Amino acid sequence: MSSDVRFTDFKSDKQPTWCPGCGDFGTMNGMMKALAETGNSPDDTFVVAGIGCSGKIGTYMHSYALHGVHGRALPVGIGVKMANPNLEVMVAGGDGDGYSIGAGHFIHAVRRNVDMTYVVMDNRIYGLTKGQASPTSREDFETSTTPEGPQQPPVNPKALALAAGGTFIAQSFSSNSQRHAELVQEAIEHDGFGFVNVYSPCVTFNDVDTYDYFRDTIVDLDEEDHDPTDREQAKDKILEGDKEYQGVLYRDDNSVPFEQREGIEESMADIPDGAPEDAMDLVREFY
Amino acid sequence: MPDDLNWAIGGEAGDGIDSTGKIFAQALSRAGRHVFTSKDFASRIRGGYTAYKVRTSVDRVESVVDRLDVLIALTERTIDENMDELHEGSVIIYDGERTTMQDVEIPDEMIGLEVPLQRLAEEAGGAIMANVVALGAACEVTNFPIANLDESLKKRFGDKGEAIVENNKEAARKGQQFVQEEYEQDDFGYDMETTDNDYVLLNGDQAIGMGALAAGCRFYSGYPITPATDVMEYLTGRIDQYGGKVVQAEDELSAINMALGAARAGARAMTATSGPGIDLMTETFGLVAQSETPLVICDVMRSGPSTGMPTKQEQGDLNMTLYGGHGEIPRFVVAPTTVSECFWKTVEAFNYAEKYQTPVFLVSDLAMAVTEQTFPPEEFDMDEVEIERGKVVDEGDLDSWTNEKGQFQPHFPAADGISPRAFPGTDNGAHMTTGLEHDALGRRTEDTEIRQEQVEKRQQKVETAREEEDWDYREYGNPDADTLVVSWGSNEGAMREGMEFLEEEGIDVRFISVPYIFPRPDLSEEIEQAEQTIVVECNATGQFADVIEHDVLERVDRVNKYNGVRFKADELAEAIEEAISEAEVTA
Repeated sequence: MSSDVRFTDFKSDKQPTWCPGCGDFGTMNGMMKALAETGNSPDDTFVVAGIGCSGKIGTYMHSYALHGVHGRALPVGIGVKMANPNLEVMVAGGDGDGYSIGAGHFIHAVRRNVDMTYVVMDNRIYGLTKGQASPTSREDFETSTTPEGPQQPPVNPKALALAAGGTFIAQSFSSNSQRHAELVQEAIEHDGFGFVNVYSPCVTFNDVDTYDYFRDTIVDLDEEDHDPTDREQAKDKILEGDKEYQGVLYRDDNSVPFEQREGIEESMADIPDGAPEDAMDLVREFY
Repeated sequence: MPDDLNWAIGGEAGDGIDSTGKIFAQALSRAGRHVFTSKDFASRIRGGYTAYKVRTSVDRVESVVDRLDVLIALTERTIDENMDELHEGSVIIYDGERTTMQDVEIPDEMIGLEVPLQRLAEEAGGAIMANVVALGAACEVTNFPIANLDESLKKRFGDKGEAIVENNKEAARKGQQFVQEEYEQDDFGYDMETTDNDYVLLNGDQAIGMGALAAGCRFYSGYPITPATDVMEYLTGRIDQYGGKVVQAEDELSAINMALGAARAGARAMTATSGPGIDLMTETFGLVAQSETPLVICDVMRSGPSTGMPTKQEQGDLNMTLYGGHGEIPRFVVAPTTVSECFWKTVEAFNYAEKYQTPVFLVSDLAMAVTEQTFPPEEFDMDEVEIERGKVVDEGDLDSWTNEKGQFQPHFPAADGISPRAFPGTDNGAHMTTGLEHDALGRRTEDTEIRQEQVEKRQQKVETAREEEDWDYREYGNPDADTLVVSWGSNEGAMREGMEFLEEEGIDVRFISVPYIFPRPDLSEEIEQAEQTIVVECNATGQFADVIEHDVLERVDRVNKYNGVRFKADELAEAIEEAISEAEVTA
């Protein structure tokens, strides 16, 4: 790992098309800082994203990247990491991408605990399709497809992650840039699936969950004397419906990543030119 | 007609039908006899009729026929289910002491052999060995040296200890002795010759799995589904020996996306499923093609649509693999026609995928997946396996694919349509891949000229492959015959044997078996030369016939079967005969 990597090395020369003021700028910058801080280089980093505003991130970052189909970024990331555990794999998603169409993959990625980082840009709305309710939208949040509000409680992704056996669950606010970058860095350094839900306000379509709202309400867990390794405490914090936290909600320091448990150490890219030497043994098994 | 024997054991699912059948099939194979097995099974775990059928001969056997010579019937229903295939002189072995079997009536022209399976098994050490007693009885009936069973019993029960193996050997001998002593007629008319040949016995799914390992497949993700699960079960554990992994994904969407991720990371990757799973994966077909990721997607077809008949045969997904997915997707569709070809076409599929950076559909079917067949081991000669990874660049030659700014161009529109791949981790190779339309750098674009250029680049890969590879067919029969029969998938064996039946009727045909669906061989000349072309396939509409008609702009005749059962040689011959005479009437 080269120590002279700077976070700007992770920036591509493509100008983002996110709306001016979008929370995703801060979210992405924090990811780049964290990657540089942990000693990764663009050539050993793989960023995966799905569809939506969050999905564009691979274009604006410089690294190996894949921009896939809606909701399916996590399985791609798992495949990349298992095929080459030497890569730093970071998956970015949105609240629609990750908690609606990709909710099944989310739960299973959490319980699989592959050593990767999952950053969700949660703006509580569908931005790129121009303002419909998302799975994290408030029950009474009026949108073009839910004029009376969704009439159903928002999903609690941290609770889903904890219930599924998550080993690292954190939350940040893209505007608190230093804290956000630190939390992503901690997620990267965690041995296992590091999940960070990021409040990443949509300045165009969401006039409720705004920068001001988060600034006024967010509470840092460091000030609450929270012990993230205590699962019971984490559960209580996560299930408190009316509070917005930033910090590490839960961390299992004994986590062993899936691919390590499965004994995968080397890149699978190297294969022999012909069939393996002992391959006729495969045939003899059928005698 | 080969001098063959058709044998079966049938009962309720959960009765150990499969393992008993397998023990017998292995014993035959080890005794140097060819074997072709088939299964009748229902979509349930316990109960319901199920049977394991073995056709065996000293000569190679390629199909099933409508004839059953020896039947071990564990239930009365087994006899009813097979009545059509039983004939004069067929031997039915059953346990007349079982309460449910006491009223069994064997037709006069057949030979009912009442063997107290359970009682003899108990004498040998446990009622659980009743099926093995039946195998011993079957050895006596067919004049098959019982010593050949011993190795199979050891293979099956060796893990449970020497005592269990010995008890089973004893159980088999009790069955044999019982028939010897109780039935004066000591010759039932069968003579099971053995040879010194060593054969291996495996099914199509196992051959695909073995082909994948030989081809360097290191990552497999899938979701269990009949009849593709055997591929996954075969690879599980074995792939680890080569540094690979099988992952059971949460669904098929995840399975194909994981495989895609592994392929992007440089691993040879595959997923396998059946029709309903292919539907779920369809969304990602386009991403695989658009991102130019090499991926082998195996579809082991079963009866559809919807859940259809999960344990029955059909070749109904051809259109899905040819056309599935929105937009236009360059792809290859390869469909092995025999069990051993399942091995070789899998190797080819990986090579095409990496050489041309496209999705390659490897299409098999239930009949091939569950059929175990004997082969000389040389048929899977690993020295013949060649691996072509296509254009992969490393630090050394990456420069020749960079633009003036020094940026790597993974989608450079090369004349042959094939651009370079840089595996993640390659210095200075970092690049974007997307399902969006993109430029040479892989970055999103809506520029009309670049769009057109990239579409043409991807299509060019297919054209290049058309020229560079041999998209050939296999041919049998008389090349000058008036009747041309064309088929794909597992029908080849039945048709080859069917030709012998046709010959007896004085009907001469030319038979072409096509393993490449897209690109595929041009059959224009062959069709023009023939007076009549008949396309044989296990589906109702004739999906392959449609593409052939499209290719040659000429009507072809069709023989279709879609009741869930594969073609049988004699029945297929009859259908061909009928198609020929119908054409003559119209002409």
